[in-house]
Amino acid sequence: MLEPLPERFLAADPSRSWILYWTLAGLTTLGEDVSGYRHRLAQTARGMQNPTGGFGGGGGQLSHLATTYAVVLALALVGGEEAYEVVDREGLWRWLCSLKQKDGGFQVCLGGEEDIRGAYCAAVIITLLNLPLELTPESPAYTPDGSTNLLSGLADYVRRCQTFEGGISGQPNVEAHGAYAFCALGCLSVLGDPRRIIPEYLDIPRLTAWLSSRQYAPEGGFSGRTNKLIDGCYSHWVGGCFPLIEAALGVGADGNSIPGSLPPPAETLFSREGLTRYILCCCQDQTRRGGLRDKPGKMSDAYHTCYVLAGLSSAQHQWELSTNDTNIGATLGATGADAVWNVLPYLGGDDDLQVFEREDLVRPVHPVYAIPLASKDAMRSYFLAKGSSFDDDGAAATAPGE
Amino acid sequence: MPPKGKAAPKPKASEAKATQPSSSKKQPAANTPPATIAELSQLRLDESRPFDAVRRKQGLSALSRDEQTTWYAARFARQPAHARNRVPIKTQRELWRQVNEASIGLRALRDHTTKWGLAASPVVTSGGDVGGLSIEAFGEWSERRLRLTALEVASRAFRERRERARRGETEGKDRVVVTETDVDDEKERRREMAEVRQKLYGVVTGRFALDPEWDDVVPIPHEEPDGALAVIAYPAEYAEAISYLRAVMASKEYSDRCLRLTETIIEMNPAHYTVWLYRAAIIQALKLSIPYEMEWLNKVALDNLKNYQIWHHRHLLVDSYYPTIAEDAEATKEFGAAEQAFLTRILAEDAKNYHVWSYRSYLVDKLGMWDDPGELAAVEDLIDADVRNNSAWSHRFFLVFSHPARSTPGVAATEPDPAAPSEIVDREVSYAKDKIVLAPQNQSPWNYLRGVLVKGGRKLAEAEEFSSQFVVGLGEGGGREEVTSTHALDLLAEIYAEKGDKERADLCLRRLGEKWDRIRVGYWEWRRKCLN
Ligand SMILES: [Zn+2]
Repeated sequence: MLEPLPERFLAADPSRSWILYWTLAGLTTLGEDVSGYRHRLAQTARGMQNPTGGFGGGGGQLSHLATTYAVVLALALVGGEEAYEVVDREGLWRWLCSLKQKDGGFQVCLGGEEDIRGAYCAAVIITLLNLPLELTPESPAYTPDGSTNLLSGLADYVRRCQTFEGGISGQPNVEAHGAYAFCALGCLSVLGDPRRIIPEYLDIPRLTAWLSSRQYAPEGGFSGRTNKLIDGCYSHWVGGCFPLIEAALGVGADGNSIPGSLPPPAETLFSREGLTRYILCCCQDQTRRGGLRDKPGKMSDAYHTCYVLAGLSSAQHQWELSTNDTNIGATLGATGADAVWNVLPYLGGDDDLQVFEREDLVRPVHPVYAIPLASKDAMRSYFLAKGSSFDDDGAAATAPGE
Repeated sequence: MPPKGKAAPKPKASEAKATQPSSSKKQPAANTPPATIAELSQLRLDESRPFDAVRRKQGLSALSRDEQTTWYAARFARQPAHARNRVPIKTQRELWRQVNEASIGLRALRDHTTKWGLAASPVVTSGGDVGGLSIEAFGEWSERRLRLTALEVASRAFRERRERARRGETEGKDRVVVTETDVDDEKERRREMAEVRQKLYGVVTGRFALDPEWDDVVPIPHEEPDGALAVIAYPAEYAEAISYLRAVMASKEYSDRCLRLTETIIEMNPAHYTVWLYRAAIIQALKLSIPYEMEWLNKVALDNLKNYQIWHHRHLLVDSYYPTIAEDAEATKEFGAAEQAFLTRILAEDAKNYHVWSYRSYLVDKLGMWDDPGELAAVEDLIDADVRNNSAWSHRFFLVFSHPARSTPGVAATEPDPAAPSEIVDREVSYAKDKIVLAPQNQSPWNYLRGVLVKGGRKLAEAEEFSSQFVVGLGEGGGREEVTSTHALDLLAEIYAEKGDKERADLCLRRLGEKWDRIRVGYWEWRRKCLN
């Protein structure tokens, strides 16, 4: 998928940057080292970056939050200064300010729709690149007294997307949908300590009930909405919500349960065995094509390969927030970005329920940033060291390599 | 005398190789008239180059000493001056003498045989090389070249004339004008040029390059950096259209031709979000008729059911159209009804299309269609058609409980709202119950029922009796336990917990995990923990 693609991929032209992330993330989850793509990725990404900030789906396309998210994550996956320095951070920050809306949310591109994908993608981009939070006077959300910033009102926007069913919709007042549940939890987990911010903004019992209802017997996989069919990609969109929900249950920063809060699950909130079975039995494209897919009868593609593998990783690992996180209580800024997540292979359940072989163990994926922990830490540390102002940061102001 | 010693330049191996293909493939057999243009020119070439053919075929040793001398002298004479000057002066003098003695023509033909280039397949018989054309076909080919040159001259004249007209120049007493006929002639001319080019060189001329209307735009072709990843091969027409799009977007042109350009690109790739936003900007800038655009959009939507850019485009159109009719209640109503009719049509194709439903909720809010009986009726029709259509259930909840006159701003969807009227809550509770009875294991109306009770600030216990009919003999052995809806059992667990009957609540949850919904045992166990 990284090599030249024939004409039938034309419909993927506006999401070429996604192909970069899906393929590199898929390879990484399988344990491949993708740093060898650094130079070529840097070149490719540069061709997608607009002089007014942000990355489009391909060259000559408007910058879009989803495609910018995909490019930034792909750059984090290959890692290294050459990749990081591709990003024109100042341009990106100005562009993000122009997308920030008065109600707290983000448009996905200038004149585009406002939705929860935008909220999640913006939160990830801002924190990975350590962008300043101040708004430019041109921003629709700008207030002269400086009372608003890039992240203000964002958690409230997320809250407005929870529906009566308990799940999360793409925009307020629409049907609950699995992909948006992940965006909501991911966004909140960047904004603050998940143990505090998730219960503060979302009805956890309803959300958990809804998430759990997505798993069907006998297949074991997840569906994306009530009464819809199972699809392999929800292994991540829904499966990836459980580490965040589990983190939000019960255990406070001091390791003791928060008084009056909900208890943590005894074992696990969803059937890891069922999900693993669905992935291994139904999602593998056994033709010469290889890859992973939505369901039997469908063809594999880069998108499903990436997210089915990420879902498999959620099923195989167990996450815990480090108890000595001192940021708890702070909801201003983006304190969740530095939350310390510890990962262990999931060992619960009976031995005979361990349905996968040791060699089928895939790498852990950061429950919020959807890349390996080390990739996230390396990129964020690199930009934290640069600071979030551009005055002393010539590299950010003039895109290198031009 | 042939040159001797170190100074003697030997024929380079590469030179010998370069001529080999033509000699081995295209050398006409002796006494056979040449069949192709390549053979004919080889023949003429050989006539002008003494002994070249023999040497090429059999090597220098096949020539006598004198013949070798002549061949070498001829080759020397054909070389450009700077190459000849590499030979020592003395040797040069000797070679020129040989040339004179052998009366070698200094104007030997240049070797073109490998440089004919490719022609389009229809006229070529041998692998696309013009050299492979028969002499007759070559005549035709040459005529086409002449024709193309003539057309190009006429086309240039047209452009110059148009430029003069633009500058307001005069011809004698009259102003220079370019009439519509002139433009039509030019279009026809370019069509012919494209056709001839295609036949001559196999080159396809894009439709924008053919159209005089686009002459002033310098397209910005899309180029990928070396080694770029996941490069998509663009079909030629797409590549051309995109290069014009980039150019007009860069110059911020909002015009009728740009609108047509966006349509062309949307036809080729409706997922191209950039072109949709540009189209919306053009419509706004030119203040084009929005109902007209909507009509066009309806067709595109029906042809591209999975596309979602269409729905955001529609959203933008309504954003700019609604203010123009907002004051006119009748027009608003009419517009709303037309939209409902179209939505019914599109939902008949794909009843759970997420983007269509997102648009529908936006429309209700924008136009204030809360009390429009048609809206609730449309939702009921869809639920009647498929009682499991959760999108329709979700829209119903929004329509009923987000009504500004009976909801409190800022109250979350999962929270009670004191503004929700009791009779509406009752109506919705019985609506949900009626639908549950049709298919008790259908989760949509159960979620709805629970949602309505919470919204209305009611006790869940209001649904105890109703839910109990789907659960018989709970916890009793001997096969007496019968559960026809796990969702009923789930709700009963909550009802008992609400009433303080933890034991019974725990039993419900335990039986769900043990027997009735085992895949979710981890969740049911957690719910049991929550009881304490
Ligand atoms: Zn899928």
